[in-house]
Amino acid sequence: MKKLSKKTLNKSFLTWFYGHLTCFSQEHMQTFGYLCAMLPVVEELYDTKEEQKEAMQTYTAFFNTEPQIGTLVVGITAGLEEAKANGEPVDGETINGIRAGLMGPLAGIGDSLIVGTLIPILLGIGLGLSGNGSPMGAIFYIIVWNFLMFFGMKFAYSKGYEMGGKAVELLVGEQAQAIRDSIILVGTVVIGSVAASWINITTALPLPGGQTLQQALDGVHPKLLSALTVVFCWWLMTKKKMSPSLVMLLLVGVAFVGVLVGFFNPGLSY
Amino acid sequence: MQISLFQAVLLGLCACLASMPGLGGTTFGNYTLGRPLVAGLIVGLILGDMRSGIIVGAAIQIIYIALVTPGGTVSADVRAISYIGIPLAVVAIKGMGLDPASKAAQDMAATLGAAVGTLGTVLFYGTATINLLWQHIGWKAVEKGDFKKLYLVDMGLPWISHLICSFLPTVIITMAGAGMVDLMKLYLPMDGIAMKTLFTVGSLLPAVGVAILLKQVINKATDFLTFFFGFILASTMGVNLIGAALLGGFFAVINYKIQMLKVRPASGAAYEEEEDI
Repeated sequence: MKKLSKKTLNKSFLTWFYGHLTCFSQEHMQTFGYLCAMLPVVEELYDTKEEQKEAMQTYTAFFNTEPQIGTLVVGITAGLEEAKANGEPVDGETINGIRAGLMGPLAGIGDSLIVGTLIPILLGIGLGLSGNGSPMGAIFYIIVWNFLMFFGMKFAYSKGYEMGGKAVELLVGEQAQAIRDSIILVGTVVIGSVAASWINITTALPLPGGQTLQQALDGVHPKLLSALTVVFCWWLMTKKKMSPSLVMLLLVGVAFVGVLVGFFNPGLSY
Repeated sequence: MQISLFQAVLLGLCACLASMPGLGGTTFGNYTLGRPLVAGLIVGLILGDMRSGIIVGAAIQIIYIALVTPGGTVSADVRAISYIGIPLAVVAIKGMGLDPASKAAQDMAATLGAAVGTLGTVLFYGTATINLLWQHIGWKAVEKGDFKKLYLVDMGLPWISHLICSFLPTVIITMAGAGMVDLMKLYLPMDGIAMKTLFTVGSLLPAVGVAILLKQVINKATDFLTFFFGFILASTMGVNLIGAALLGGFFAVINYKIQMLKVRPASGAAYEEEEDI
């Protein structure tokens, strides 16, 4: 009965933690990171070079997912490879089927949860702390993010290894869904605050009667113009399917015309 | 303000570590060193003006608060935003005699950061393409069973890609940047259309950053209420971001409990739980 040692699992995890994207190409994405992460596992489980070669062949298949959440898959395959080496009914094809089946859904969950929610929450709080040039915001982000990710990914790896395919329920079950929705709710609230604190779109257009348009808008709701611009950009991207770069380009046009007609005026001089 | 060769080399090294496929790894490289908020602190320390660096970094961070790279397609490159854009913005702001904490300085930083970031996507595709060479070596190693070489392919050889696509561009552009500010001052007056547009674009860009994020989390119109709840907390009620996060957390707990009630309706049904799993 072969059993992977703690040391090997740790080495495999650390290799993935650092190296999953260091050699990125459009064609193979995380494949080489995956190969390196599985190498310690394969070398410990199989004695002959031929067996090792055959086992490594499994992991030459394309792999790409959200790397933080995707650590779970690496853990799962380490467990499966161990089962395979022990003669259980698992072969390379089974392993690759599971890998390919998981990478898409996990990328979706990871992108919305980690990149779309956790990072913005932490950055939002960091921005709040860095007012007037204080280093506290950056320091807060560096410590909290790296702490959460190192131990979070380590947890995902060992859960994947211990529980195999069942570990996925940690992420896709009904309870997981409820937790994810709730985290996204916090993220949306924080983003609202970030928008209100950091976006400052004002107009210089005078209105007949001595008031400016800005004062009139402030009377409706403070920062109304900033909120409307966000909704407008969101509408362009979701309903008009524009790319962010195209929206930015469009805004250059909007700014240019706005300046010409006197709607925008930063009012600066050297 | 000049950027010395030594300072430019340090910026170049950071660019190698921070890019997306970077050599710092995604967690500590791309997602830590590559975030403009963190890069602001680091660039500030390298240039000897921490306060300006952080203010500029924070202003650029809003645009890229949710830089997702779905399937490896990028619309902006973090190494360029953070280690070319931020230093150039700091130099430009100082050269123009603006107060870094002013709205004008931050708008200027936002435009510069976004322009450099978009152009920087070339660096991303360059790095990824050169890496194909090393991967070619890697495939041969796998075939031969020469596995130790894989580590070299994955973590060693990409340094060469970064020397070409991260280090050199950063060093050259940041060193040349200081001179460009004087040219800008000479040919582009602040009250001209070009500069007015530049500053206006800077004030509009953060809205794109927030909208990119909303695109991910808003699925139906009522989700906008959650966003506006946060918006109103800061704009009218004067709650700071930590307060907003805590208030959001409070509602998240309530939301979680309600959702779990749907999954496990009331007590007494606890023995059914096992069936679900």
